[in-house]
Amino acid sequence: MKKTYEEINEKIKKGKAVVVTAEEIISMVRERGAKKTAAAVDVVTTATFGPMCSSGALLNTGHTRPRMNYKKAWINDVPAYCGIAAVDIYLGATAIPDDDPENKVFPGKFGYGGGHVIEELIAGREVVLRATSYGSQCYPRREIETRISLKDLPCATLLNPRNAYQNYNVAVNAKSRRSIYTYLGILRPNMGNATYCSAGELSPLMNDPHYRTIGIGTRILLGGGVGYVINHGTQHDPDVERNDRGVPTGGAGTLAVMGDMKGMNPKYVRGVSMTGYGVSLAVGIGVPIPVLDEEVVRACAISDADIVAPVWDYSDDYPNLKGEPIAHVTYAELRSGHILIGKKKVETASLSSLPLAREIAGLLKKRISAGRFLLSQPAETLPGAGSKITCGPLAERPVKKTSSRARPR
Amino acid sequence: MTKKSAILHFKAELVERPVLSGLIRDHDVSVNILQASVTPDEDGTMFVQVDGEPANVKRAFAYLDEMGVRLVFPAKNLVWDEERCTSCGACVAQCLPKALAVDEETNRISLDDSRCIACELCIPACPFGALESVTEHLG
Repeated sequence: MKKTYEEINEKIKKGKAVVVTAEEIISMVRERGAKKTAAAVDVVTTATFGPMCSSGALLNTGHTRPRMNYKKAWINDVPAYCGIAAVDIYLGATAIPDDDPENKVFPGKFGYGGGHVIEELIAGREVVLRATSYGSQCYPRREIETRISLKDLPCATLLNPRNAYQNYNVAVNAKSRRSIYTYLGILRPNMGNATYCSAGELSPLMNDPHYRTIGIGTRILLGGGVGYVINHGTQHDPDVERNDRGVPTGGAGTLAVMGDMKGMNPKYVRGVSMTGYGVSLAVGIGVPIPVLDEEVVRACAISDADIVAPVWDYSDDYPNLKGEPIAHVTYAELRSGHILIGKKKVETASLSSLPLAREIAGLLKKRISAGRFLLSQPAETLPGAGSKITCGPLAERPVKKTSSRARPR
Repeated sequence: MTKKSAILHFKAELVERPVLSGLIRDHDVSVNILQASVTPDEDGTMFVQVDGEPANVKRAFAYLDEMGVRLVFPAKNLVWDEERCTSCGACVAQCLPKALAVDEETNRISLDDSRCIACELCIPACPFGALESVTEHLG
């Protein structure tokens, strides 16, 4: 039984498509088998919600009168990148105010940054734009300070170079005698706790391990609004070892995504403060998977018990980019509240929100069922295993010290 | 007898009205004001402990709600903003007495204030700013 994108979209338009979430399909396949499920179901919805660094907002503020070519710009004192064009700026999720105390008194709070500005914009709140420049004959203005809000901006696009990691590390503190403060939360000494960050069986790329349907041009729910996959994300690494179900046993595939911020819901795009580490943005993403054949259904039937994640020591091995995982554990074990590492029972906690991921998968299911969200066939699929797209460490090379302004060539 | 702590948020226009007299006089409860910040023409806050028969305490809070006072009920010294909470679980790992826990079915966070020991270890662990001490909340 094979279906095409066109056939599935016809059913969606008529309001007759059968849509289930990636959690619901697990028991369906267990009870009826893949063949019958593939015949009965048209679309599987997947989702994830969690802190996702490598996110940001591409904003065009509209031209000032007289015109100005921003050299430096800040929104609510958070610096944005200006080296693109006169009034185009890119506000990164992890940017912090120039005068943030950082980790000078450890651990720093990192109470406000780019991620929070993005949340405030989407919530419709007013923010303060400040910019300076040098002035030129066609862009004479040198400074501006004004209140703006999302509705004033001609263009506001969430443009995230790396989201929705296919799988991710479990973090523990194995060697430090004190708590350590990481982007995966506070880790108590002697492996006092373990944290992880994935929606597991509900997560988009877990359900499409070989990138058969999720590719460039896939229409998705991004922050509750319509968005698109625009490329494989940065650090996309399809050659990571895979288990017998084809699912990578560590972080592997990633997605670059974009979407119009004006259609988004601030509930699903949230500023994040990680004590002692920095700021980021939590993003909600829902991805539909068309049931083209039985293979798609088999892949979507993956459950937490079938997916393993590597446990890394974040007190030494991870920061120094060395060593090997301490262990591998399944998401079913992680969800149970504790894992066993050797003989030690370690409490687990998630940094991504399963309830919000479920909500987003449900929202997407509702929109497709109601005929309000059509599926798009990707223009290109994402690079898979053997594609030579990979992600390795930076090979540093010594730099010759020369006279003051010379650049190495 | 029952005893319940609450943070009262007054809008500026309410500050002019004798809200607490009505609370004490009409509901037969005693009110212990632990901290207050009330200035004319500004929004105000008050941290109170209300003491009395359970039915009276319940009616007393219903009266405050009706008057337009925003009520926040802390667990010991902890204010949990359920609107901001995404139910991730970052706090759960820090909560040794297991006052904060993940529900096995729904995976949502719950807070059992009888278990809270006011250690505040959960507060810096929350990425979403959903946990504050009463002092931080009163600003």
